[in-house]
Amino acid sequence: MSDIQNLAMGLGVALQSYNLLVAVVGLTLGIIVGVLPGLGGANGVAILIPVVVTMPPTTGIILLSSIYWGALYGGSITSILFNIPGEPWSVATTFDGYPMAKAGKPGEALELAFLAHAAGGLLGVVMLTFFAPAIAEFALKFGPAEVFSVMVLTFSAFVGLGGKSPVKTIASIMLGFVLAAVGLDIVSGQLRMTYGSVPLMGGFNFIVAVIGLFGLGEIFLTVEEGLKVDGIKVHLGFRDIKAGLKDLMHLKKALIMGSFIGCWMGLKPGVATPASFMAYGFCKQSAPNKEQFGKGAPAGIVAPEAAAHAAGTSATLPMITLGIPGSPTMAVIMGGLMIFGLQPGPMLFKEHPDFVWGLIASCWVGNILGFFIVLAAAPLFASILKIRFAIFMPIIVYVCAIGAYAVNNRMIDVYYMLGFGVLGYLFKKLDYPIAPMVLALVLGDMAEQAMRQALIIGQGSPAVFFRPPIALPVMVLALTIFFWPVITAVRNHIHLPKHPPVRPHPKAA
Amino acid sequence: MKKANLAVALLLIGIAALVIVDAVRLGFRWGDNGPESGFFPFWLGVILTICAAIELRSLLVSHRKHVPSRRLMPEGAWKPIAWVLLPAVGMAVTTELVGLHVAAALYLAFYMRATAKVRWSTTLAISIVVPAFLYVLLDKLFMVPMPQGLWGGKLLPF
Repeated sequence: MSDIQNLAMGLGVALQSYNLLVAVVGLTLGIIVGVLPGLGGANGVAILIPVVVTMPPTTGIILLSSIYWGALYGGSITSILFNIPGEPWSVATTFDGYPMAKAGKPGEALELAFLAHAAGGLLGVVMLTFFAPAIAEFALKFGPAEVFSVMVLTFSAFVGLGGKSPVKTIASIMLGFVLAAVGLDIVSGQLRMTYGSVPLMGGFNFIVAVIGLFGLGEIFLTVEEGLKVDGIKVHLGFRDIKAGLKDLMHLKKALIMGSFIGCWMGLKPGVATPASFMAYGFCKQSAPNKEQFGKGAPAGIVAPEAAAHAAGTSATLPMITLGIPGSPTMAVIMGGLMIFGLQPGPMLFKEHPDFVWGLIASCWVGNILGFFIVLAAAPLFASILKIRFAIFMPIIVYVCAIGAYAVNNRMIDVYYMLGFGVLGYLFKKLDYPIAPMVLALVLGDMAEQAMRQALIIGQGSPAVFFRPPIALPVMVLALTIFFWPVITAVRNHIHLPKHPPVRPHPKAA
Repeated sequence: MKKANLAVALLLIGIAALVIVDAVRLGFRWGDNGPESGFFPFWLGVILTICAAIELRSLLVSHRKHVPSRRLMPEGAWKPIAWVLLPAVGMAVTTELVGLHVAAALYLAFYMRATAKVRWSTTLAISIVVPAFLYVLLDKLFMVPMPQGLWGGKLLPF
């Protein structure tokens, strides 16, 4: 199969000693980033982009994605040992991971989590390897109307399936697009919404927004409760690995369910985080020992972790093949690709196959290597949080400021970052979703361009977005998902049982 | 919580208004050969206004029904948040004067002493070593320059 051949070629690139070294460095950084609150996956990757630009593209992307895999692994460490989710997708792990650790089995809990991650990641990478080329071929048939319709689908998924208020989600998306539109309009050469201010002419860069929204915003959220970091001590030994593997044999169902749910959800943009919750919910519902969940049930760790990692890995698929990032971190990595001059999408497979397959191969390498690294050094990484908060918090802010400045060498970006931090905090508290806003910021220009071109082709008529054979079903699907909450509400209303007929009291007549 | 919700909704309307005004200036209809520059922003502004208006309406409804609202921030959360935000702003402003690394050193030292009374030895060690390390890493190794500020170049001429 030519896919295997391509993978072999990619492995040849990924296993070069320099790239391997970079992968290890990236994984380590990623695990640290995953452990620390305030330096999340999206944020950590964003900060390193200006550094990565100095490297050859393949190496640079290997570094960025290794950080991503590392962060996926690292988020579980703090969830289990400290009851603090290091990443949004590790929240579900705290439900059963922390109780299990408190009950005296922290090593086993960590083992289960890491093994589940590895399994989920492997499934994701397999999907990536074998489906990516096919989807890329298919995507070559896309014209501007099709590209725009896929973007509409992306954002509709957030609105209809995101679980947050649809109005707030739409507002968030609109705000993201507005921020993307500020500055120079490439097509007409006019300045938009700058109101004569020079700093605004440069527009808002997504890296700065991500660092502020996810980085500073996360720090604000962490401090509002006052940071208590008395974690559970753990010492990982071989016994724990064996115990974990044995447990895993019994938990095949949870593992498989979690991985598949994760893979499936990861493909749909924006639902990597909910995947872990969904897997937890499904597993709990179909488990024979429901009451155990929440008190340290092993399946309660395995399912969400496998799902989270599988979703994170398969989120790479739409990014590479269609140019649609599946999660904010993927959006940042995609932004990195664009900075390298590589336009993600179907053309990437044709024009730069060595890059694409090198990336896919590094996903394999990264996931497997990451498992061993995190296994060996989990207690070490966990002890990072023992450093006093008063010490590492300002360092995180310092690093964030560096990241923000390095994007365009402008001080205003640092101020923007602070502003985005406040905005991120407010939005999180008020339940306005941030992920779609970030995606809109990254995709804004592309979406507008696709829309303009499509309208020109269609000569001004919006019907162009509904043309068969591709745009029509995609738009129909998008609208269905968009109105999903309304549809379910109507269905529930119809199926409400009518009031049972009132029987007259025998004695009343 | 309600006040914050209200404030954000009004802010969104304000932003949408700014966007629509500029879009009208740019023209939002069909131009010579394609949508004009203001087309996309115009509709963005319109949709944003509609969303914010719906949000305002539901706020009004829940206000009339006297639905109790959760606190936005837990008790006493203002203090730690202000302690994170204000010194960070201070660091940004100081950067304009003396450059990022010097400002960061001051910021680290200030934060560690003021909030947690970290020992002087640790404070000094960290607030000098970390910026020094990052300076070497960024400026010399990665060649990514950081702002020098007005006087930074003269304070530390290396």
